[in-house]
Amino acid sequence: MIIFGEINCFGFCLETSSIAHLVALFFVISIALLAASFIIKRPKQRLQTFVSAQVAVLLAIAATFYTMKCSEMLSFYLYLAYVGITGILIFGVVRFYDRLMIKRLDAKPAGNIMEWVQKFVNQLASATVYYYDSAAPRAFAAGRSIFVSIGLLEVLDDDELKAVLAHEAWHIRNNSRTPYLKQLAIMTFSSHKSSEIEELADSFAASIAGREALSSARNKVDKVFI
Amino acid sequence: MVKLDQINLSKDGLTKFFSPIEAEILRALWNEGEMMTSELTEKTSIPLTSIAGTLDRLVKAGYATRRVENISGRVRYIYSPAASEEEVANEITTKILDNLVDAFGPVALENFSKYSDKK
Repeated sequence: MIIFGEINCFGFCLETSSIAHLVALFFVISIALLAASFIIKRPKQRLQTFVSAQVAVLLAIAATFYTMKCSEMLSFYLYLAYVGITGILIFGVVRFYDRLMIKRLDAKPAGNIMEWVQKFVNQLASATVYYYDSAAPRAFAAGRSIFVSIGLLEVLDDDELKAVLAHEAWHIRNNSRTPYLKQLAIMTFSSHKSSEIEELADSFAASIAGREALSSARNKVDKVFI
Repeated sequence: MVKLDQINLSKDGLTKFFSPIEAEILRALWNEGEMMTSELTEKTSIPLTSIAGTLDRLVKAGYATRRVENISGRVRYIYSPAASEEEVANEITTKILDNLVDAFGPVALENFSKYSDKK
């Protein structure tokens, strides 16, 4: 088995290396930080500990890389690639996804056609509301933008629209946490239900616009707004 | 269906060329000229959830046009037919005749002249 050969080789190289204790230290720190990120409740600090844990793992890998004299490093290359890709996903794509959607949908600021919409969202989150040309009533959040179709603006009354906007604004406020939770779920192979996130967004929307407005908005929108 | 690549000869009238919902919307637009979405759902009694996607399709295929208007603080689509009933009939006829000539050549042409003689 190649993988056992690699582990043996890794152990051997580590024993003979002078910076073995450094590698061990980085691994211990990263595991401690990862454990801490599970316990900490506040989203921002949780994210920070999680990122630091990743950085510590990267440092440990870099030190191991330096120590290793053997060539079979496939598994470490793979992990490195994995960390790189997830890093790009979290901090790249998620951040610029809304720019992509604005272009694709040819979306325009909703403040142009309904002034109060942008003002209402400003009170809840720092996000821009865009509308796009479609009769199908739909709404979704991406990056720091909320997208609503003209069809949605047509069918909802003001209270219902407020409920939908509050729901999406909640997503924006927690977007920094959501992709991180999803990535954590992949890394730890635990299931993280997106319906839980939707429920949280709904209870926030209900507290802003009222439960009645929220449920009547849900009945009017053909695809459930996400 | 809107693109005329599926013609169903067993159906009646416009539904030979359009889906029933598309045909009803086009018929309403030709009769009324300009219509809001709410007027369309009322006139055709098709629920909004079914009509919305069809309206997007008709606009994309170029059979209807729409503009956005702000009517007393509310955003509304105003739909109008992109072409008159005659123009659409003309387009469909030309396209089918082209296809008949393309498929059967002289036989199709011979039948056209027989048909016009009969008339």
